[in-house]
Amino acid sequence: MLLGVVAAALLGATFSAVSTADFTQFLDRQVHGLHCSFVPGAGRELGESGCRTVLMSPYSSYFRDRIWGGIPVALWALAVFSYLVARAGAPLLRGHTSRKEAGFLVAATGLPLGMSVLYFALSLQVGATCKVCVGMYVSSIAAFVAAVLAWRQTPASAPEVPGSVAAWFAQGVGFVALLTGIFLAVTPPSDLGKTGTCGALVQAEDPSGVMVELKSGSTPAIEVLDPLCPSCKALDTRLGSSGLGQALGLKGVLFPLDSSCNWMVGEALHPGACTVSEAVLCAQGLGEKRNPEAARKVLAYAFAHQEQLREEAKKDPKALRDTLEARFPEVKGCLGGAQVKNKLVKSLRWAVANALPVLTPQLFVREKRMCDEDTDLGLEYSLTKLLASGDTAAPKGGRP
Amino acid sequence: MTPSQKSLALALATALIPAGLVGAWGASAKARLDENRDAPQDVAVAAVSNDAYCTPQLKAVVRRVASACGLVQAEGGRGCQPTDAKKVASLSGGDFNALFRPLAKRAHIVQFDPDTAELDEGAKKLVETAWSDQRGASFFFVVARASPEGSADHNTRLSRDRAQAVLTHLQEKFKDPELERQVGLLWLGEDFAQLDEEFCAWNRSREACTPAELNRSAFMAWIDCAI
Repeated sequence: MLLGVVAAALLGATFSAVSTADFTQFLDRQVHGLHCSFVPGAGRELGESGCRTVLMSPYSSYFRDRIWGGIPVALWALAVFSYLVARAGAPLLRGHTSRKEAGFLVAATGLPLGMSVLYFALSLQVGATCKVCVGMYVSSIAAFVAAVLAWRQTPASAPEVPGSVAAWFAQGVGFVALLTGIFLAVTPPSDLGKTGTCGALVQAEDPSGVMVELKSGSTPAIEVLDPLCPSCKALDTRLGSSGLGQALGLKGVLFPLDSSCNWMVGEALHPGACTVSEAVLCAQGLGEKRNPEAARKVLAYAFAHQEQLREEAKKDPKALRDTLEARFPEVKGCLGGAQVKNKLVKSLRWAVANALPVLTPQLFVREKRMCDEDTDLGLEYSLTKLLASGDTAAPKGGRP
Repeated sequence: MTPSQKSLALALATALIPAGLVGAWGASAKARLDENRDAPQDVAVAAVSNDAYCTPQLKAVVRRVASACGLVQAEGGRGCQPTDAKKVASLSGGDFNALFRPLAKRAHIVQFDPDTAELDEGAKKLVETAWSDQRGASFFFVVARASPEGSADHNTRLSRDRAQAVLTHLQEKFKDPELERQVGLLWLGEDFAQLDEEFCAWNRSREACTPAELNRSAFMAWIDCAI
């Protein structure tokens, strides 16, 4: 059965190595594909997937507010599984084990098992599961079961073996410390000397009243967003789950990447985004009287049903309008009208006035633009720094 | 090799192999980051439209109208001055109209009753539709005309009132502060660049399309030209 522990731990180490490699590649601040398959190392995907959602969730790494991207939990899983290979392999090489050593192995395999249970529960909260993570869960269960069986097969009279529980425990801590130390030593530094900003707004005012109030914190911030853009939804989720969103007095500027209203894109990257944006503006109200709560509800609905709404718009744009009017009766009579179309144009022209890149999401804190990579895996680190800095000086070293 | 030495070798192997991998992955990410840090970003920047139909002649006309209406000066209010349409265009009437042919899908023509400058309901709706289709355009062009009945002076005033009626309706309906800097008016009266039957196929507020009816009108379009 000790061989079973070694085999399960090797499998777990392989899955966690794949996951660690995936995580680490993002530290170059670029966009990458992810391995997302039950076969370790196979099935690299570039688009949205459960693996990407989990990777970008706040549970995939720790100390994100102090280290860019944080320390991946998969790294510690790799350390623990590698340690289990060594720990279960030792009695195999020796040819026998003791009751104490077998008992320790049960406790040691209980750690990844416990973490698997915890992370499975968290995956339900995140609403996505990654196949590589499932591989680690299964390996953990297998290792624990094999360790229990090995312990049960070890008679109480089995001779003692060299070593103590404290030494074995210290060895495990050493594995974790070694990998953590190497990770911190070789990965890119968190602070690239540009205070997490890439340019600034030249015209932050909203004379046409196109902005939508999203959050009511004290630090002024503006998000350029497309209601049907998956990355915008992901940013919204990250801002919420990190708790950092509460500090922001966040206003949204709608910038649908849909050629039916946006002349800056050659095709509808997110079909239906113009109609949904109109619905958000209609719900907020076009006149003096504003209802930001209603606008937020439309936006939340759009985020929750992005794929369905995009598909509906692709098949029949009118059907999307009907869906929105049925779900939000207050937008009826406004949606598709001249006034809301005019308002949406003003929203797009706000981006023109600020010469913004044609992409979403973009986050501006105190009128400074957070770099694109910092709205992703580095959000917690960069936003925490930006909020703490509180300065309003021109950005240093950032891209214009 | 004793069992203890074997165990130690195994422990070292199981520690050093993942450590080496992590080191290699991290170093690789750092190298890529250093490589890409100063690389120029290939991302489009939000800008107003400047379509292919923006010929130098069209831009010249738009610029002159915009100047005459006070749209291009940073200071001072708007107010289109009476300007000789022929001087604005510096073109023959036919060539002037030809400038707008590429706008067939973008332009709208509101028609008026004889000797009036009042917008009917259909015309108001069309004005609103035209205005809401701004997209990336910077100037909204209103070119008003009159049919040849009556004196030339009267028709010049009538066409000016028609252009003004479009602007007034936009101001009342949209209450848009930017409107003042975007709407250019040009009134042609009866003697320059009359619309021919080709324009009957364009988006109009009425069915009727005799030459007289077609020219009791205001032609409106957002112009996708950066001038």
